[in-house]
Parts: sequence; structure tokens; C-alpha cells
Amino acid sequence: MDHDLWRQWQELASLWAPANPDSQARFGHEGAFGLGSFMDAAERFTAAARSFLDGAANASAPAAGEAARAFSDFLREQFADFRLPWSSGIGAGAGHGAPPSMGDSPAFGATREHQQRWQRMAEASRRIDDAQRRLQRLWSDALREAAATFAARLVPQHSSGVSAEALRKLYDTWIDCAEEAYARVAHGEAFCNALAEYVNASSQWRRELQASIEHLAKLLDLPTRSEINTLTQRLKSVEELLRAAQNKRKPQVAASRTRPARRKAKQ
Amino acid sequence: MTGASFHAALAAASVGAAGCSQKDAVWESGKLRLYRYRPIARPTGGVPLLIVYALVNRPYMLDLQQDRSLIRGLLAQGVDVYLIDWGYPDGADRLTTLADYIDDYLAGCVNQILKARRLSALNLLGVCQGGVLSLCFSALHPRSVRNLITMVTPVDFHTPADLLSKWVSKIDIAAWVNNGNVSGDALNQLFLSLMPFRLTQQKYMHLLAASPDRAHIENFLRVEQWIFDSPDQAGAAFREFVTWFYQENRLVQNCVVIGGRKIDLRALRLPMLNLIGKRDHLVPPDASLALQRLVGSADYTALEFDLGHIGMYISARAQREVPAAIAKWLAPR
Repeated sequence: MDHDLWRQWQELASLWAPANPDSQARFGHEGAFGLGSFMDAAERFTAAARSFLDGAANASAPAAGEAARAFSDFLREQFADFRLPWSSGIGAGAGHGAPPSMGDSPAFGATREHQQRWQRMAEASRRIDDAQRRLQRLWSDALREAAATFAARLVPQHSSGVSAEALRKLYDTWIDCAEEAYARVAHGEAFCNALAEYVNASSQWRRELQASIEHLAKLLDLPTRSEINTLTQRLKSVEELLRAAQNKRKPQVAASRTRPARRKAKQ
Repeated sequence: MTGASFHAALAAASVGAAGCSQKDAVWESGKLRLYRYRPIARPTGGVPLLIVYALVNRPYMLDLQQDRSLIRGLLAQGVDVYLIDWGYPDGADRLTTLADYIDDYLAGCVNQILKARRLSALNLLGVCQGGVLSLCFSALHPRSVRNLITMVTPVDFHTPADLLSKWVSKIDIAAWVNNGNVSGDALNQLFLSLMPFRLTQQKYMHLLAASPDRAHIENFLRVEQWIFDSPDQAGAAFREFVTWFYQENRLVQNCVVIGGRKIDLRALRLPMLNLIGKRDHLVPPDASLALQRLVGSADYTALEFDLGHIGMYISARAQREVPAAIAKWLAPR
């Protein structure tokens, strides 16, 4: 193994590793979304890359291939529970705090409308969960494909000797493999259908929840979003009428030229 | 550099991303501001150029910092630059439609410039979604636009590489919008999901591994601030835009109607320049290149740059090539 390579990689890794326990503690409290999460990820990658290169260096082709597979499996695992951004954005909040199940029994009696609304919410919540499971399966498929491609790309690269740049490029190679595999899945009909189902079910869940809240607001004589929307619509109509009337009164600007006049040269 | 020193460098970095060039607000309407930039070079004396940015994200990306500013590049070429800042829609704007944006706000800006400069027509530069708005405006008011430039503008929304279009094809947009605004944060998450490994992991790892140079960190954070400075979208306009363009591809079908009037791109005869990023993952090149076959202009030029969507605004190559290309194209027109 090229010792310069190890030294460079250690220097690189030192960027990601906190210098002392105090800084570790400081990063630690930032939770899953701060600088600390990237530091942690970089440390884990460093350790796995070290293990891979140890296993691959001067090893037989089968052993190098096995090291590559182990490394790619590690990367796949690292991203297995990764929550895609859409899952926290488009349907934010939906499905959480699902209403208590009212069973499948037909709604009946004085509370029939409310019961039906809660049933629709429960159904939407179930659809959200189902869509999320389908998306997670597709995500897992993409990771599996990415790991296989990554392992295949690693073997020839490292059996022919490792350059100083190679270690640093390992991470980028993994990202390339992962994006390519993800793109194939994300363009597919199964992914589009699951994503649409997730968003549509989230919309239904939110709509039913809003209706429930509006019902309570009316009981307490509090203003509701529907009432505000009505007022906004009326105001907009008045503004449009006013603007139309103003435009009628204003004489049109008489434009005189299509180009600005050229400035006269100073004498 | 250790992790701790990186942490310190990150904390010490100061970022102000509200644009770097001097400008004056010359008109306003509601939350909209129309700015005119102060010249930094001898003006060419040509027709003013009005930049129409997208409703998604903020327009200061075009003037991010001194060495990464399309606007500064245009000013250096002597172009007289105006810019529309759409502002941040709030709940009171939820019923604002595309017709309001195009025939009220954009038309108001154009009228204001024409009136102030005593001209009958100006040049339009529409960026991304702003290019779609500019195309619609030009079709509705052809006499007010002398030359039209579109930059990373989608026209055919159903090209094979258009992932956003595929994703939204089966989404019930009306239910999603639900008479409200659409959260800018939610849209950001959607955009990040287009390339989640690069956009949520790799770029941060690259920053950690790169030089601790303060300017480098500040440049990164400035772009980062812009990316996540995402206004909520006025619900009605968003619903119309996604339904009409992404789902129904109405520009290609030639059936867009704005404020009761049909947008007929074939009737567009003005000179047109179409600027395209070959590596654009948001607006695939084919989505922009379709413009040529849809418009009636005999003076149509397409220029492709080996850049991505954001690279078209802020890359070093863009600074060298894009403003010069625009100025060169405008000069004889």
C-alpha cells in the first residue's frame, strides 16, 4: 500500500474528525442535521475505506473483489435508512397523529359525518404508509444496484495500483454510482406512481384534518381559513375592478421612439 | 485543518447575499419591486433590458458577488439593466394567478420602463420560469418587446429527461395546493430529491475536504443561502403553472390562455436568443431547444453552454461567456 496515500487520506480524514473531545461534544448536540452528522459520516467512510484498501492491497483478485463487495455493502447500509428529502417536504406532517381507528363499520347516527371524516383520515394515513413503504423499497433497489456497480468499478481500479487521487475519488465514485442507479429508479413508472400516491394521500389527510379543525373553530366562533379565503377573493375582485377603472381613465403612454436617442458628442 | 478549525472558519464566515451591484427601486406594486442598475461602464445607448426572474427562488442569484454576477457582466458590456423582484408571497397572495403576474405585474414593469424612457419597446431576458412568463407576455404584447432572450427556459415539458415532469404527472395539484400557497421549503425538498446524493451529501463533503479558505467558504454559503431562500408560491399561479405546463404541456399543444387571451407562440416574430445549459438537470436542454419549432421568428439563435442550471448564473465560465454573448447578439438588433 502506498504510504503517501495513507498519509494524505489521514490528513483528509482529519478535516472531518474533531480535534478533541470538546469539539466532538459541540458537534454532537447538533443532531442529525448539523455539521456533526457530516463529520460522523466522513469518519465512518474513512474507517470503511481504510478497511477496504487494506483488504484489497496486494490481495488476490477474489479477495480484492470480496473487499470491494464488503465496502459497497457498507455504503448501501449507510444510506438504507436515509430519508429522501421529499418525505419531509411535500407531505410534511401528514399521516402523523393519525386518528383512532373507527373500524370499517358503516358510519351511523348523529355523529355520522364526523365518523366518516375520521375514517377518511385513517384511510389516507394508511395510504401514506403504504406509499412510503413502496418508495423505500425502490430506494433500497437503487442502493443495491449502486452497490453492485460500485463494487464492479472498484476491482479493476485497485488491482492496477492505487494513485494518490484514488482514495479521495472513492467517495465520488460511490456518489456517481448511487445517482445513476437512483435516476434509473426515479424515472420509472413505479416510483412516479408511488410518489404521486404519497402526495395525493397526504393532501387528502391534510384536507380532512383542516375540515375537522374548521368545524371546531366554528363551534368556538373563531375565524376559519375558508372565511378568510372568501374575503381574499372578494378583495381581489374589488382590486381588479378598481384597476380596470383606473386603466380606462389613464391615457395610454405615447411612445415616441423604439430606440433611445443617441447622445450628441460633446463639443 | 481540523474539524474544530473548520467549525471555527464556518462560524467566522460572513455572508450577505442580497446582490452586490448598486441599484435603485424605480417602481413597486404590492410586494414587487422594479430595480434599475447603475451603470459601471459607458452605456451602449441601446434599448433597456428587463430581466424577468423565476417566481421560485430569489433573483439575487444573478448578482451574487462581484466575480459571479450575470448582471454585472451585462453592465460591464454597457447594457442598461432592469430587474423584477417578485418579493415573498404570503397568505394574502394565494389567489394571485399567472394572469396577474404576466398581465398586471410584468406588464406594469414594462409600461413603467417604456413610459420613463419614452420608448415603444424594450428587450426582455426571461430566466428559467421567468422565460415562460416572458414568452407569454411577448405573445400578448408583441409590440412592447423588441428582442426576447430566454435563459434555461423550459418550453417542452414532456422531454424524456425531465424528471420533475414525470413526478408531477399523476399528482393531484389542485388537492396539493388546496387554495393555499405552496411552501418554498417543500419545493426545495422536491428539487433536492432530483439528485439526493449530490445535493444533500457530496457537496458538503467536498466543502469539508476543500481548502479552509475563507472566501471559498463564503462563496459556498452564499450559494447555499440562495438555494434555501425560497419564497412560498402563490397557490393559484403555482397550480396553473404546474397543471398547464408540466402536466398538460400547453405551450407545445399551443393552447395556453392567459386572462382570456390565447398565447400563440407561432405568432412571435421578434428576434429571439435562447440560452441553454447542456448539463442542466432541472431544465433538460431538449426542453429549451423545442422553442425553435414552436415560434414564428425567422431571427432565432440558440446558444448552448457546457454548464448546469446554476452554473449558467455563477460559474466562472458563465461570467466569461454569457453576458458577452447576450451583448453581442443584442448589438445589431
